[in-house]
Amino acid sequence: MDRAIIVDHLVKNFEVTEKESGISGAISSIISPKKKIIRALRGISFTIQPGELVGFIGPNGAGKTTTLKILSGLLYPTAGFVQVLSFDPWDRKPEFLKQISLVMGQKNQLWWDLPAIETLELNRAIYEIPEKEFEQNLKELTSPLGVENLLKVQVRKLSLGQRMKLELIAALIHKPKVLFLDEPTIGLDLIAQQKMRDFIYEYNRRYQTSILLTSHNMDDLVDLVRRVIVIDEGRILFDGALEELVSRFAKEKIIKASLTKEDDIQRIETIGKVKKIAFPEVVLSIPREVVAVAAAELLQNFPIADLTIEEVPIEDIIRKVFRGEMARKKH
Amino acid sequence: MLEKYLQIFKISLVQEFAYRLNFIMWRVRNVMQIFLVFFLWNSVFSDPTRMVFGYDRGKILTYVFGILILKAIVLSARAVDVAGEISRGDLSNFLLKPINYFKFWFTRDISSKALNLGFAIVEVLILFILLKPPLFIQTEIISLFGFLVSLVLAVFLFFLLLFLINLVAFWMPENSWAAQFLFIAILTEFLSGGVFPLDILPITVQRFLYLLPFPYLMFFPLQVYLGKIVGSQMFGGILISLFWVLVLAIGLNIVWNKGIKRFEAVGR
Repeated sequence: MDRAIIVDHLVKNFEVTEKESGISGAISSIISPKKKIIRALRGISFTIQPGELVGFIGPNGAGKTTTLKILSGLLYPTAGFVQVLSFDPWDRKPEFLKQISLVMGQKNQLWWDLPAIETLELNRAIYEIPEKEFEQNLKELTSPLGVENLLKVQVRKLSLGQRMKLELIAALIHKPKVLFLDEPTIGLDLIAQQKMRDFIYEYNRRYQTSILLTSHNMDDLVDLVRRVIVIDEGRILFDGALEELVSRFAKEKIIKASLTKEDDIQRIETIGKVKKIAFPEVVLSIPREVVAVAAAELLQNFPIADLTIEEVPIEDIIRKVFRGEMARKKH
Repeated sequence: MLEKYLQIFKISLVQEFAYRLNFIMWRVRNVMQIFLVFFLWNSVFSDPTRMVFGYDRGKILTYVFGILILKAIVLSARAVDVAGEISRGDLSNFLLKPINYFKFWFTRDISSKALNLGFAIVEVLILFILLKPPLFIQTEIISLFGFLVSLVLAVFLFFLLLFLINLVAFWMPENSWAAQFLFIAILTEFLSGGVFPLDILPITVQRFLYLLPFPYLMFFPLQVYLGKIVGSQMFGGILISLFWVLVLAIGLNIVWNKGIKRFEAVGR
Protein backbone atom coordinates (compact mmCIF):
# COMPACT_ATOMS: atom_id res chain seq x y z
CA MET A 1 0.00 0.00 0.00
CA ASP A 2 1.65 3.23 -1.08
CA ARG A 3 -1.16 5.66 -0.54
CA ALA A 4 -2.92 6.35 2.72
CA ILE A 5 -5.94 8.00 1.14
CA ILE A 6 -7.32 7.79 -2.37
CA VAL A 7 -10.27 9.91 -3.41
CA ASP A 8 -11.45 9.74 -6.97
CA HIS A 9 -14.32 11.75 -8.46
CA LEU A 10 -16.09 11.84 -5.15
CA VAL A 11 -19.62 13.20 -5.25
CA LYS A 12 -21.90 13.82 -2.31
CA ASN A 13 -25.42 15.18 -2.52
CA PHE A 14 -27.62 15.91 0.44
CA GLU A 15 -31.36 15.86 0.06
CA VAL A 16 -33.08 18.33 2.28
CA THR A 17 -36.75 19.12 2.69
CA GLU A 18 -37.36 22.80 2.63
CA LYS A 19 -39.54 24.08 5.39
CA GLU A 20 -41.55 27.15 4.73
CA SER A 21 -42.34 29.53 7.51
CA GLY A 22 -45.70 29.75 9.22
CA ILE A 23 -48.38 27.18 9.90
CA SER A 24 -49.56 26.89 6.31
CA GLY A 25 -45.96 26.41 5.28
CA ALA A 26 -45.51 23.68 7.85
CA ILE A 27 -48.64 21.91 6.62
CA SER A 28 -47.75 22.15 2.97
CA SER A 29 -44.29 20.83 3.68
CA ILE A 30 -45.88 17.74 5.21
CA ILE A 31 -48.35 17.22 2.34
CA SER A 32 -46.00 17.92 -0.52
CA PRO A 33 -42.49 18.21 0.79
CA LYS A 34 -40.23 20.26 -1.42
CA LYS A 35 -37.03 18.32 -1.80
CA LYS A 36 -33.93 20.21 -2.59
CA ILE A 37 -30.63 18.67 -3.51
CA ILE A 38 -27.55 20.23 -2.10
CA ARG A 39 -24.45 19.32 -4.01
CA ALA A 40 -21.82 19.31 -1.32
CA LEU A 41 -19.08 17.63 -3.35
CA ARG A 42 -19.03 17.76 -7.12
CA GLY A 43 -16.41 15.18 -8.03
CA ILE A 44 -13.21 15.79 -6.14
CA SER A 45 -10.03 13.74 -6.52
CA PHE A 46 -6.80 13.67 -4.55
CA THR A 47 -4.42 11.25 -2.87
CA ILE A 48 -2.47 11.47 0.33
CA GLN A 49 0.78 9.63 1.06
CA PRO A 50 1.52 7.94 4.35
CA GLY A 51 2.99 10.46 6.76
CA GLU A 52 1.81 13.49 4.83
CA LEU A 53 0.30 16.50 6.60
CA VAL A 54 -2.17 18.24 4.33
CA GLY A 55 -4.26 21.33 4.95
CA PHE A 56 -7.75 21.39 3.61
CA ILE A 57 -9.01 24.94 3.18
CA GLY A 58 -11.96 26.79 1.80
CA PRO A 59 -14.83 29.02 2.91
CA ASN A 60 -17.65 27.77 5.11
CA GLY A 61 -19.86 25.25 3.37
CA ALA A 62 -17.21 24.40 0.81
CA GLY A 63 -17.39 20.69 1.59
CA LYS A 64 -14.40 20.22 3.88
CA THR A 65 -16.19 18.60 6.79
CA THR A 66 -18.29 16.52 4.42
CA THR A 67 -15.09 15.13 2.92
CA LEU A 68 -13.64 14.31 6.32
CA LYS A 69 -16.86 12.59 7.32
CA ILE A 70 -16.87 10.47 4.19
CA LEU A 71 -13.24 9.54 4.70
CA SER A 72 -13.92 8.43 8.25
CA GLY A 73 -16.99 6.42 7.33
CA LEU A 74 -19.67 8.66 8.80
CA LEU A 75 -21.19 9.56 5.46
CA TYR A 76 -21.96 7.41 2.49
CA PRO A 77 -20.70 8.88 -0.78
CA THR A 78 -23.25 9.50 -3.55
CA ALA A 79 -20.74 8.52 -6.24
CA GLY A 80 -17.05 8.09 -6.76
CA PHE A 81 -14.30 6.05 -5.22
CA VAL A 82 -12.85 6.40 -1.72
CA GLN A 83 -10.20 4.29 -0.09
CA VAL A 84 -8.50 4.87 3.23
CA LEU A 85 -5.71 2.48 4.24
CA SER A 86 -7.08 0.09 1.60
CA PHE A 87 -10.49 0.03 3.31
CA ASP A 88 -13.82 1.29 2.13
CA PRO A 89 -14.58 3.66 5.02
CA TRP A 90 -18.35 3.16 4.87
CA ASP A 91 -17.98 -0.53 5.82
CA ARG A 92 -16.71 0.72 9.18
CA LYS A 93 -14.80 -2.50 9.74
CA PRO A 94 -13.24 -2.68 13.23
CA GLU A 95 -9.77 -3.11 11.68
CA PHE A 96 -10.32 0.14 9.81
CA LEU A 97 -11.77 2.07 12.73
CA LYS A 98 -8.83 1.02 14.90
CA GLN A 99 -6.46 2.80 12.54
CA ILE A 100 -8.19 6.13 12.10
CA SER A 101 -9.37 9.00 14.21
CA LEU A 102 -11.51 12.07 13.60
CA VAL A 103 -11.33 15.06 15.89
CA MET A 104 -13.96 17.71 15.49
CA GLY A 105 -13.22 20.91 17.35
CA GLN A 106 -16.85 21.30 18.28
CA LYS A 107 -17.60 17.75 19.33
CA ASN A 108 -16.42 16.05 22.46
CA GLN A 109 -15.95 12.44 23.29
CA LEU A 110 -14.72 12.91 26.86
CA TRP A 111 -17.31 12.07 29.49
CA TRP A 112 -18.31 15.41 30.89
CA ASP A 113 -18.80 14.46 34.53
CA LEU A 114 -15.81 12.18 34.85
CA PRO A 115 -12.06 12.68 34.85
CA ALA A 116 -10.51 12.24 31.41
CA ILE A 117 -8.65 9.13 32.51
CA GLU A 118 -11.98 7.28 32.65
CA THR A 119 -12.68 7.96 28.98
CA LEU A 120 -9.11 7.01 28.15
CA GLU A 121 -9.48 3.73 29.99
CA LEU A 122 -12.69 3.09 28.13
CA ASN A 123 -10.96 3.78 24.83
CA ARG A 124 -8.17 1.43 25.82
CA ALA A 125 -10.73 -1.33 26.17
CA ILE A 126 -12.67 -0.38 23.05
CA TYR A 127 -9.56 -0.26 20.89
CA GLU A 128 -8.15 -3.32 22.64
CA ILE A 129 -4.84 -1.67 23.45
CA PRO A 130 -2.56 -3.80 25.65
CA GLU A 131 -2.04 -2.31 29.12
CA LYS A 132 1.69 -1.67 28.65
CA GLU A 133 1.26 -0.02 25.29
CA PHE A 134 -1.51 2.13 26.73
CA GLU A 135 0.70 3.40 29.53
CA GLN A 136 3.46 4.11 27.03
CA ASN A 137 1.17 5.96 24.62
CA LEU A 138 -0.37 7.93 27.41
CA LYS A 139 3.03 9.11 28.60
CA GLU A 140 4.11 10.03 25.10
CA LEU A 141 0.96 12.08 24.59
CA THR A 142 0.53 13.77 27.95
CA SER A 143 4.06 15.00 28.54
CA PRO A 144 4.51 17.13 25.39
CA LEU A 145 1.08 18.67 26.02
CA GLY A 146 1.84 19.12 29.71
CA VAL A 147 -1.42 17.64 30.95
CA GLU A 148 -0.17 14.75 33.11
CA ASN A 149 -1.74 16.23 36.21
CA LEU A 150 -5.10 16.96 34.56
CA LEU A 151 -5.99 13.34 33.88
CA LYS A 152 -7.81 12.93 37.17
CA VAL A 153 -9.70 16.22 37.07
CA GLN A 154 -13.37 16.18 36.16
CA VAL A 155 -13.62 17.21 32.52
CA ARG A 156 -16.20 19.90 33.17
CA LYS A 157 -13.77 21.65 35.50
CA LEU A 158 -11.15 22.02 32.77
CA SER A 159 -10.62 25.08 30.62
CA LEU A 160 -11.41 24.82 26.93
CA GLY A 161 -7.72 24.64 26.06
CA GLN A 162 -7.05 21.89 28.56
CA ARG A 163 -10.07 20.00 27.39
CA MET A 164 -9.07 20.16 23.75
CA LYS A 165 -5.65 18.76 24.59
CA LEU A 166 -7.25 15.86 26.39
CA GLU A 167 -9.73 15.40 23.55
CA LEU A 168 -6.78 15.09 21.24
CA ILE A 169 -5.14 12.54 23.51
CA ALA A 170 -8.35 10.51 23.62
CA ALA A 171 -8.38 10.53 19.83
CA LEU A 172 -4.75 9.47 19.55
CA ILE A 173 -4.46 6.91 22.31
CA HIS A 174 -4.80 4.05 19.82
CA LYS A 175 -2.09 5.52 17.59
CA PRO A 176 -4.13 5.91 14.43
CA LYS A 177 -2.34 5.76 11.10
CA VAL A 178 -4.66 8.35 9.63
CA LEU A 179 -5.88 11.36 11.53
CA PHE A 180 -8.59 13.79 10.47
CA LEU A 181 -8.61 17.09 12.29
CA ASP A 182 -11.55 19.42 11.83
CA GLU A 183 -10.77 22.89 13.19
CA PRO A 184 -8.46 21.67 15.95
CA THR A 185 -7.66 25.14 17.31
CA ILE A 186 -11.15 26.63 17.20
CA GLY A 187 -11.90 28.76 20.24
CA LEU A 188 -8.43 28.44 21.75
CA ASP A 189 -6.33 31.39 22.88
CA LEU A 190 -3.12 32.18 21.04
CA ILE A 191 -0.77 30.33 23.36
CA ALA A 192 -2.97 27.25 23.43
CA GLN A 193 -3.21 27.38 19.64
CA GLN A 194 0.55 27.49 19.32
CA LYS A 195 0.98 24.56 21.68
CA MET A 196 -1.59 22.58 19.78
CA ARG A 197 0.19 23.29 16.51
CA ASP A 198 3.60 22.34 17.87
CA PHE A 199 2.14 19.14 19.13
CA ILE A 200 0.47 18.23 15.84
CA TYR A 201 3.66 19.02 13.95
CA GLU A 202 5.80 16.90 16.27
CA TYR A 203 3.29 14.09 16.31
CA ASN A 204 3.18 13.92 12.54
CA ARG A 205 6.96 13.89 12.29
CA ARG A 206 7.46 11.34 15.01
CA TYR A 207 4.84 8.75 14.10
CA GLN A 208 4.52 9.37 10.38
CA THR A 209 0.77 9.64 10.79
CA SER A 210 -1.08 10.91 7.74
CA ILE A 211 -2.96 14.00 8.82
CA LEU A 212 -5.66 15.84 6.94
CA LEU A 213 -6.55 19.05 8.67
CA THR A 214 -9.16 21.71 8.05
CA SER A 215 -8.81 25.07 9.66
CA HIS A 216 -9.93 28.63 9.51
CA ASN A 217 -6.84 29.66 11.32
CA MET A 218 -4.19 30.96 8.98
CA ASP A 219 -1.40 30.31 11.43
CA ASP A 220 -2.38 26.66 11.57
CA LEU A 221 -1.76 26.39 7.87
CA VAL A 222 1.32 28.53 7.51
CA ASP A 223 3.01 26.82 10.45
CA LEU A 224 1.99 23.28 9.85
CA VAL A 225 1.38 22.24 6.32
CA ARG A 226 3.45 22.16 3.21
CA ARG A 227 0.66 21.04 0.96
CA VAL A 228 -2.81 22.53 0.79
CA ILE A 229 -5.96 21.53 -0.99
CA VAL A 230 -8.27 24.46 -1.69
CA ILE A 231 -11.91 23.55 -2.03
CA ASP A 232 -14.91 25.70 -2.78
CA GLU A 233 -18.46 24.86 -3.75
CA GLY A 234 -17.58 21.19 -3.77
CA ARG A 235 -14.72 21.49 -6.22
CA ILE A 236 -10.99 21.43 -5.78
CA LEU A 237 -9.46 24.69 -6.97
CA PHE A 238 -5.89 24.04 -6.02
CA ASP A 239 -3.78 21.16 -4.79
CA GLY A 240 -0.12 21.76 -4.19
CA ALA A 241 2.57 23.45 -2.15
CA LEU A 242 1.54 26.37 -0.01
CA GLU A 243 4.06 28.71 -1.71
CA GLU A 244 2.70 27.76 -5.09
CA LEU A 245 -0.71 28.89 -3.96
CA VAL A 246 0.60 32.41 -4.03
CA SER A 247 2.00 32.40 -7.54
CA ARG A 248 -1.16 30.69 -8.68
CA PHE A 249 -3.72 32.92 -7.08
CA ALA A 250 -1.96 36.20 -6.51
CA LYS A 251 -2.67 38.17 -9.61
CA GLU A 252 -0.77 41.04 -8.14
CA LYS A 253 2.59 41.90 -6.70
CA ILE A 254 3.42 44.40 -4.03
CA ILE A 255 5.75 47.36 -4.60
CA LYS A 256 7.08 49.04 -1.49
CA ALA A 257 8.79 52.36 -1.98
CA SER A 258 10.28 55.03 0.28
CA LEU A 259 9.86 58.60 -0.89
CA THR A 260 12.47 61.24 -0.19
CA LYS A 261 9.86 63.95 0.02
CA GLU A 262 6.09 64.04 0.22
CA ASP A 263 4.28 63.83 -3.06
CA ASP A 264 0.78 64.05 -4.38
CA ILE A 265 -1.21 60.88 -3.73
CA GLN A 266 -3.29 61.33 -6.81
CA ARG A 267 -0.17 61.32 -8.93
CA ILE A 268 0.98 58.06 -7.38
CA GLU A 269 -2.44 56.53 -7.93
CA THR A 270 -1.97 56.76 -11.67
CA ILE A 271 0.70 54.08 -11.35
CA GLY A 272 -1.39 51.52 -9.47
CA LYS A 273 -3.64 50.78 -6.54
CA VAL A 274 -2.29 52.41 -3.38
CA LYS A 275 -2.68 50.01 -0.47
CA LYS A 276 -1.00 52.14 2.14
CA ILE A 277 0.61 55.54 2.28
CA ALA A 278 2.41 56.81 5.35
CA PHE A 279 5.25 59.09 4.51
CA PRO A 280 7.89 58.14 3.63
CA GLU A 281 6.48 54.68 2.83
CA VAL A 282 4.12 53.86 -0.02
CA VAL A 283 2.71 50.39 -0.70
CA LEU A 284 1.24 49.68 -4.11
CA SER A 285 -0.55 46.66 -5.49
CA ILE A 286 0.31 46.12 -9.15
CA PRO A 287 -0.83 43.45 -11.62
CA ARG A 288 1.87 40.84 -12.10
CA GLU A 289 2.39 41.45 -15.83
CA VAL A 290 3.11 45.17 -15.53
CA VAL A 291 5.02 45.23 -12.29
CA ALA A 292 8.38 45.91 -13.97
CA VAL A 293 6.94 48.79 -15.99
CA ALA A 294 5.32 50.27 -12.92
CA ALA A 295 8.55 50.09 -10.98
CA ALA A 296 10.46 51.82 -13.74
CA GLU A 297 7.85 54.52 -13.96
CA LEU A 298 8.00 55.11 -10.24
CA LEU A 299 11.76 55.40 -10.23
CA GLN A 300 11.70 57.82 -13.13
CA ASN A 301 8.94 60.17 -12.08
CA PHE A 302 9.05 60.20 -8.29
CA PRO A 303 11.64 61.06 -5.67
CA ILE A 304 12.37 57.51 -4.57
CA ALA A 305 15.04 56.46 -2.07
CA ASP A 306 14.36 52.72 -2.03
CA LEU A 307 12.08 50.28 -3.81
CA THR A 308 11.27 46.55 -3.39
CA ILE A 309 8.98 44.21 -5.25
CA GLU A 310 7.34 41.49 -3.14
CA GLU A 311 4.87 38.66 -3.38
CA VAL A 312 1.48 39.08 -1.76
CA PRO A 313 1.75 37.50 1.72
CA ILE A 314 0.43 33.93 2.01
CA GLU A 315 -1.95 35.10 4.72
CA ASP A 316 -3.67 37.47 2.30
CA ILE A 317 -4.16 34.70 -0.21
CA ILE A 318 -5.54 32.33 2.36
CA ARG A 319 -7.82 35.05 3.62
CA LYS A 320 -9.15 35.37 0.12
CA VAL A 321 -9.63 31.63 -0.05
CA PHE A 322 -11.68 31.68 3.14
CA ARG A 323 -13.82 34.48 1.78
CA GLY A 324 -14.49 32.36 -1.26
CA GLU A 325 -12.96 34.87 -3.63
CA MET A 326 -10.93 32.28 -5.47
CA ALA A 327 -13.90 30.53 -7.01
CA ARG A 328 -15.45 33.68 -8.32
CA LYS A 329 -12.25 34.58 -10.04
CA LYS A 330 -12.22 31.30 -11.87
CA HIS A 331 -15.78 31.55 -13.15
CA MET B 1 -13.75 -8.73 23.87
CA LEU B 2 -15.38 -9.06 27.25
CA GLU B 3 -13.01 -6.44 28.65
CA LYS B 4 -14.66 -3.79 26.49
CA TYR B 5 -17.97 -4.36 28.13
CA LEU B 6 -16.53 -4.65 31.62
CA GLN B 7 -14.99 -1.24 31.12
CA ILE B 8 -18.29 0.20 29.89
CA PHE B 9 -19.94 -1.32 32.95
CA LYS B 10 -17.35 0.30 35.17
CA ILE B 11 -17.48 3.79 33.64
CA SER B 12 -21.28 3.72 33.82
CA LEU B 13 -21.17 2.96 37.52
CA VAL B 14 -18.62 5.69 38.09
CA GLN B 15 -20.86 8.11 36.28
CA GLU B 16 -23.88 7.20 38.39
CA PHE B 17 -21.80 8.16 41.39
CA ALA B 18 -21.04 11.50 39.80
CA TYR B 19 -24.77 12.12 40.05
CA ARG B 20 -25.10 10.76 43.58
CA LEU B 21 -27.82 13.14 44.63
CA ASN B 22 -29.99 12.41 41.60
CA PHE B 23 -29.66 8.73 42.21
CA ILE B 24 -30.49 8.95 45.88
CA MET B 25 -33.55 11.10 45.17
CA TRP B 26 -34.69 8.56 42.66
CA ARG B 27 -34.39 5.76 45.23
CA VAL B 28 -36.20 7.84 47.85
CA ARG B 29 -39.03 8.34 45.41
CA ASN B 30 -39.28 4.60 44.92
CA VAL B 31 -39.35 3.89 48.63
CA MET B 32 -41.96 6.58 49.24
CA GLN B 33 -44.12 5.06 46.57
CA ILE B 34 -43.84 1.65 48.20
CA PHE B 35 -44.80 3.12 51.56
CA LEU B 36 -47.87 4.69 50.05
CA VAL B 37 -49.03 1.60 48.21
CA PHE B 38 -48.17 -0.62 51.15
CA PHE B 39 -50.34 1.28 53.59
CA LEU B 40 -53.15 1.50 51.07
CA TRP B 41 -53.31 -2.25 50.56
CA ASN B 42 -52.54 -2.93 54.19
CA SER B 43 -55.69 -1.10 55.19
CA VAL B 44 -57.78 -2.77 52.48
CA PHE B 45 -56.58 -6.14 53.78
CA SER B 46 -56.68 -5.27 57.45
CA ASP B 47 -58.63 -8.47 57.98
CA PRO B 48 -56.03 -11.20 57.25
CA THR B 49 -58.63 -13.68 55.92
CA ARG B 50 -60.00 -11.25 53.37
CA MET B 51 -59.51 -12.04 49.68
CA VAL B 52 -59.85 -9.35 46.99
CA PHE B 53 -59.29 -10.05 43.27
CA GLY B 54 -57.67 -13.34 44.22
CA TYR B 55 -55.13 -11.69 46.51
CA ASP B 56 -54.78 -12.28 50.21
CA ARG B 57 -52.80 -9.97 52.45
CA GLY B 58 -49.54 -11.89 52.02
CA LYS B 59 -49.77 -11.99 48.25
CA ILE B 60 -50.68 -8.35 47.75
CA LEU B 61 -47.88 -7.22 50.02
CA THR B 62 -45.48 -9.55 48.24
CA TYR B 63 -46.67 -7.93 45.04
CA VAL B 64 -45.82 -4.50 46.38
CA PHE B 65 -42.35 -5.58 47.46
CA GLY B 66 -41.87 -7.56 44.28
CA ILE B 67 -42.56 -4.46 42.22
CA LEU B 68 -39.80 -2.61 44.06
CA ILE B 69 -37.30 -5.31 43.09
CA LEU B 70 -38.64 -5.77 39.56
CA LYS B 71 -38.54 -2.07 38.85
CA ALA B 72 -34.87 -2.10 39.70
CA ILE B 73 -34.22 -5.04 37.43
CA VAL B 74 -36.51 -4.26 34.50
CA LEU B 75 -37.15 -0.52 34.39
CA SER B 76 -33.71 0.74 35.40
CA ALA B 77 -32.05 1.89 32.22
CA ARG B 78 -29.64 4.40 30.84
CA ALA B 79 -30.72 4.11 27.23
CA VAL B 80 -32.97 7.15 27.74
CA ASP B 81 -29.87 9.16 26.86
CA VAL B 82 -29.75 7.76 23.34
CA ALA B 83 -32.17 10.37 21.98
CA GLY B 84 -30.03 13.20 23.29
CA GLU B 85 -26.94 11.65 21.83
CA ILE B 86 -28.59 11.42 18.44
CA SER B 87 -29.94 14.97 18.46
CA ARG B 88 -26.65 16.45 19.62
CA GLY B 89 -24.83 14.46 16.97
CA ASP B 90 -22.63 12.76 19.56
CA LEU B 91 -23.61 9.49 17.98
CA SER B 92 -20.78 10.16 15.52
CA ASN B 93 -18.28 9.51 18.30
CA PHE B 94 -19.55 5.97 18.55
CA LEU B 95 -19.85 5.32 14.86
CA LEU B 96 -16.13 6.10 14.64
CA LYS B 97 -15.21 3.43 17.15
CA PRO B 98 -14.97 -0.33 16.87
CA ILE B 99 -17.91 -0.93 19.14
CA ASN B 100 -21.47 -2.15 18.84
CA TYR B 101 -23.81 0.65 19.83
CA PHE B 102 -26.60 -1.64 21.07
CA LYS B 103 -24.25 -3.72 23.17
CA PHE B 104 -22.76 -0.51 24.52
CA TRP B 105 -26.13 0.68 25.79
CA PHE B 106 -27.25 -2.72 26.94
CA THR B 107 -24.13 -2.91 29.07
CA ARG B 108 -24.85 0.55 30.46
CA ASP B 109 -28.39 -0.61 31.26
CA ILE B 110 -27.03 -3.67 33.05
CA SER B 111 -24.82 -1.48 35.21
CA SER B 112 -27.77 0.72 36.08
CA LYS B 113 -29.79 -2.36 36.93
CA ALA B 114 -27.04 -3.78 39.11
CA LEU B 115 -26.73 -0.56 41.06
CA ASN B 116 -30.48 -0.13 41.47
CA LEU B 117 -30.96 -3.75 42.41
CA GLY B 118 -28.30 -3.45 45.10
CA PHE B 119 -30.14 -0.50 46.60
CA ALA B 120 -33.55 -2.11 46.17
CA ILE B 121 -32.47 -5.19 48.11
CA VAL B 122 -31.24 -3.09 50.99
CA GLU B 123 -34.44 -1.05 50.91
CA VAL B 124 -36.61 -4.16 50.92
CA LEU B 125 -34.68 -5.51 53.89
CA ILE B 126 -35.16 -2.29 55.81
CA LEU B 127 -38.84 -2.05 54.91
CA PHE B 128 -39.26 -5.68 55.83
CA ILE B 129 -37.80 -5.06 59.26
CA LEU B 130 -39.91 -1.92 59.74
CA LEU B 131 -43.22 -3.20 58.42
CA LYS B 132 -42.90 -6.94 59.07
CA PRO B 133 -45.25 -7.90 56.23
CA PRO B 134 -46.24 -11.51 55.70
CA LEU B 135 -44.43 -12.29 52.44
CA PHE B 136 -45.24 -15.11 50.11
CA ILE B 137 -42.33 -17.41 49.24
CA GLN B 138 -42.71 -19.42 46.06
CA THR B 139 -41.34 -22.95 46.34
CA GLU B 140 -42.57 -24.55 43.10
CA ILE B 141 -39.51 -25.09 40.88
CA ILE B 142 -41.54 -24.69 37.69
CA SER B 143 -42.96 -21.34 38.79
CA LEU B 144 -39.55 -20.10 39.85
CA PHE B 145 -38.11 -21.19 36.52
CA GLY B 146 -40.96 -19.52 34.62
CA PHE B 147 -40.39 -16.39 36.69
CA LEU B 148 -36.70 -16.30 35.77
CA VAL B 149 -37.33 -16.86 32.07
CA SER B 150 -40.04 -14.20 31.92
CA LEU B 151 -37.80 -11.82 33.85
CA VAL B 152 -34.95 -12.20 31.36
CA LEU B 153 -37.39 -11.63 28.51
CA ALA B 154 -38.75 -8.59 30.33
CA VAL B 155 -35.27 -7.07 30.50
CA PHE B 156 -34.81 -7.47 26.75
CA LEU B 157 -38.34 -6.28 26.09
CA PHE B 158 -37.84 -3.04 27.98
CA PHE B 159 -34.46 -2.42 26.40
CA LEU B 160 -35.94 -2.81 22.92
CA LEU B 161 -38.97 -0.64 23.68
CA LEU B 162 -36.90 2.12 25.20
CA PHE B 163 -34.29 2.10 22.45
CA LEU B 164 -36.96 2.14 19.76
CA ILE B 165 -38.66 5.18 21.30
CA ASN B 166 -35.35 6.98 21.56
CA LEU B 167 -34.65 6.50 17.88
CA VAL B 168 -37.47 8.92 17.11
CA ALA B 169 -34.80 11.56 17.67
CA PHE B 170 -33.41 10.68 14.24
CA TRP B 171 -36.48 12.29 12.72
CA MET B 172 -37.36 14.80 15.40
CA PRO B 173 -34.15 16.05 16.90
CA GLU B 174 -35.89 18.70 18.98
CA ASN B 175 -34.88 18.73 22.57
CA SER B 176 -38.38 18.51 24.00
CA TRP B 177 -38.00 14.81 24.54
CA ALA B 178 -37.43 14.79 28.27
CA ALA B 179 -41.04 15.68 29.07
CA GLN B 180 -42.43 13.16 26.66
CA PHE B 181 -40.23 10.43 28.01
CA LEU B 182 -41.53 11.13 31.44
CA PHE B 183 -45.04 10.58 30.15
CA ILE B 184 -44.00 7.38 28.42
CA ALA B 185 -42.24 6.17 31.55
CA ILE B 186 -45.35 6.76 33.66
CA LEU B 187 -47.55 5.07 31.09
CA THR B 188 -45.19 2.11 30.95
CA GLU B 189 -45.16 1.83 34.71
CA PHE B 190 -48.94 1.92 34.76
CA LEU B 191 -49.50 -0.62 32.01
CA SER B 192 -46.89 -2.98 33.34
CA GLY B 193 -48.53 -3.19 36.76
CA GLY B 194 -46.09 -0.93 38.56
CA VAL B 195 -48.79 1.02 40.35
CA PHE B 196 -51.48 -1.60 40.96
CA PRO B 197 -51.96 -5.22 39.91
CA LEU B 198 -53.55 -5.33 36.47
CA ASP B 199 -56.02 -8.07 37.42
CA ILE B 200 -58.19 -5.59 39.26
CA LEU B 201 -59.08 -4.16 35.84
CA PRO B 202 -62.17 -5.37 33.87
CA ILE B 203 -61.48 -8.67 32.15
CA THR B 204 -61.81 -7.27 28.59
CA VAL B 205 -59.24 -4.60 29.33
CA GLN B 206 -56.97 -7.26 30.77
CA ARG B 207 -57.36 -9.46 27.68
CA PHE B 208 -56.41 -6.54 25.47
CA LEU B 209 -53.48 -5.58 27.66
CA TYR B 210 -52.12 -9.10 27.50
CA LEU B 211 -51.66 -8.74 23.77
CA LEU B 212 -49.38 -5.75 24.31
CA PRO B 213 -45.80 -6.05 25.48
CA PHE B 214 -46.30 -3.95 28.64
CA PRO B 215 -47.73 -6.49 31.11
CA TYR B 216 -44.79 -8.77 30.39
CA LEU B 217 -42.40 -6.22 31.83
CA MET B 218 -43.39 -6.67 35.47
CA PHE B 219 -46.93 -7.85 36.01
CA PHE B 220 -46.62 -11.17 34.23
CA PRO B 221 -43.33 -12.25 35.86
CA LEU B 222 -44.73 -11.37 39.27
CA GLN B 223 -47.94 -13.28 38.67
CA VAL B 224 -45.84 -16.29 37.73
CA TYR B 225 -43.85 -15.91 40.91
CA LEU B 226 -47.00 -15.62 43.00
CA GLY B 227 -48.32 -18.77 41.40
CA LYS B 228 -51.37 -16.96 40.01
CA ILE B 229 -50.37 -17.82 36.48
CA VAL B 230 -49.31 -21.41 35.96
CA GLY B 231 -49.20 -24.19 33.37
CA SER B 232 -50.23 -23.50 29.79
CA GLN B 233 -51.17 -19.94 30.68
CA MET B 234 -47.62 -19.38 31.85
CA PHE B 235 -46.08 -20.89 28.73
CA GLY B 236 -48.49 -18.94 26.54
CA GLY B 237 -47.44 -15.73 28.23
CA ILE B 238 -43.77 -16.53 27.81
CA LEU B 239 -44.39 -17.21 24.13
CA ILE B 240 -46.17 -13.88 23.62
CA SER B 241 -43.35 -12.17 25.43
CA LEU B 242 -40.81 -13.94 23.23
CA PHE B 243 -42.83 -12.98 20.18
CA TRP B 244 -42.66 -9.30 21.18
CA VAL B 245 -38.93 -9.53 21.79
CA LEU B 246 -38.44 -10.85 18.27
CA VAL B 247 -40.79 -8.35 16.65
CA LEU B 248 -39.24 -5.43 18.47
CA ALA B 249 -35.69 -6.62 17.73
CA ILE B 250 -36.48 -6.80 14.02
CA GLY B 251 -38.27 -3.46 14.21
CA LEU B 252 -35.35 -1.87 16.01
CA ASN B 253 -32.96 -3.11 13.38
CA ILE B 254 -35.06 -1.67 10.56
CA VAL B 255 -35.64 1.67 12.27
CA TRP B 256 -31.96 1.91 13.25
CA ASN B 257 -30.76 1.39 9.69
CA LYS B 258 -33.21 3.96 8.37
CA GLY B 259 -32.26 6.33 11.15
CA ILE B 260 -28.55 6.03 10.42
CA LYS B 261 -29.22 6.87 6.79
CA ARG B 262 -31.22 9.83 7.91
CA PHE B 263 -28.51 10.84 10.36
CA GLU B 264 -25.94 10.88 7.61
CA ALA B 265 -28.27 12.59 5.14
CA VAL B 266 -28.64 15.66 7.31
CA GLY B 267 -24.94 15.48 8.00
CA ARG B 268 -25.22 16.23 11.65
